[in-house]
Amino acid sequence: MDTLVTITVVSSSKDSAEKAIDTAFSEIEKLEKLFDFFSPDSEISLINKNAGISEVKVSQDTLDILDKALYVSEKTEGAFDATIGAVITLYDFYKKVNPEDSSIKKNLSLVNYRYLTIDRNKSTAFLKKRGMYIDLGGISKGYAADNAVETLKRNRIHSGLVSVAGDIKAFGLKPDGKPWKIGIRNPRAKGQEDDIMATIELTDMAISTSGDYERSFINDGKRYHHLLNPRTGYPAEGCQSVSIITKEGAFTDAFATGIFILGPEKGIKTLEKMGFDGVIVDSQGKVHTTPHIRGKVEFKRSS
Amino acid sequence: MNLKGLLNSTTIADRILLFILILLSLSGIFFIKEVLPKGQIVRIEINGHPVYLLPIEKDRIVSVNGSEGNTIVEIKNHKVRITESPCDNKLCIQQGWIEKGSIVCLPNRVVVIIGTPEDESNKRVDAITG
Repeated sequence: MDTLVTITVVSSSKDSAEKAIDTAFSEIEKLEKLFDFFSPDSEISLINKNAGISEVKVSQDTLDILDKALYVSEKTEGAFDATIGAVITLYDFYKKVNPEDSSIKKNLSLVNYRYLTIDRNKSTAFLKKRGMYIDLGGISKGYAADNAVETLKRNRIHSGLVSVAGDIKAFGLKPDGKPWKIGIRNPRAKGQEDDIMATIELTDMAISTSGDYERSFINDGKRYHHLLNPRTGYPAEGCQSVSIITKEGAFTDAFATGIFILGPEKGIKTLEKMGFDGVIVDSQGKVHTTPHIRGKVEFKRSS
Repeated sequence: MNLKGLLNSTTIADRILLFILILLSLSGIFFIKEVLPKGQIVRIEINGHPVYLLPIEKDRIVSVNGSEGNTIVEIKNHKVRITESPCDNKLCIQQGWIEKGSIVCLPNRVVVIIGTPEDESNKRVDAITG
């Protein structure tokens, strides 16, 4: 995934802590091999290659993550869509190139989660149309954090924190008996990446943030970022950043993307329906929160 | 006594002393600006362990030995980039010059971070999302 992964654990023995951390890192590497869209023989690449041709036999983890991706698509009215690959690959966020309108329109018919089917009995996945492309970038980091935490727990770690490029899952309490303190990045930070706008204390919870500042560039005064609306193929407007809090990292990750695309009003409604917590910074910089979270997030005075 | 009267009542020795004092206080500004670092530090880590802490002001090229081989990091004009890496995808090189944030080369376990030496906000939280 070429991202920064940090694992912190609380343990009375250095050896068992290191062993647990190593096992958790191997778990994340294993998942990366399955889901990586750049690597030609990952399971996701095999499904992509066989789009419109045949079903592909896949592992339990791939079935699981696709199942969760489809669930989030349904709950966000398709705003989160793992089949966004056919359009997102038209953008080059390194070279700062946005595609022609005609090529976006052409590939838009290849974006639709309803054409992705999984068969749990046969352990297979299938993309119905040739040229369709799964990109799990919006869910795999949170899913990896979930699995890393499960791995730590199996190795008898009772407290720790896993962060896969900012998709964070924390469990247990710190040695001082306090919950883990997470900073939410200021979407319009000037200069420093660790400029935070708010903090929240968490335990046995995951948190993810999607922002228009990651993987983005400005062309002709317009900001192009990777959070594409599956209906238009263009970057979603309406939010600067969306942070989601719930138990599962796969859901915080994918809902952060989906809610970003839905926008602040619809987003808060969807979160309330799901029973998730969230903090949304809209395009004007105004902060919206779910009712439950008020009082738990500590906002820093804006500078 | 007004200012003019005050100046008239000084001796040459007084004036020389005054001049030296002004010079000394001005040199303090120069001293602080030139000698103390301006805050931005380039931190290079291998496997999560810091191996270099370098001021961003000074242009230089350093080579660090990651898990797959040598990564070359270049600091120039307050910017940082990776020019050579043994990894397959070369995403770290493609990222080009950065003025803030970080470059991560996962295959070679090398991380280059630009930050302030003692970041207050960083110390107060256990992790940052976003």
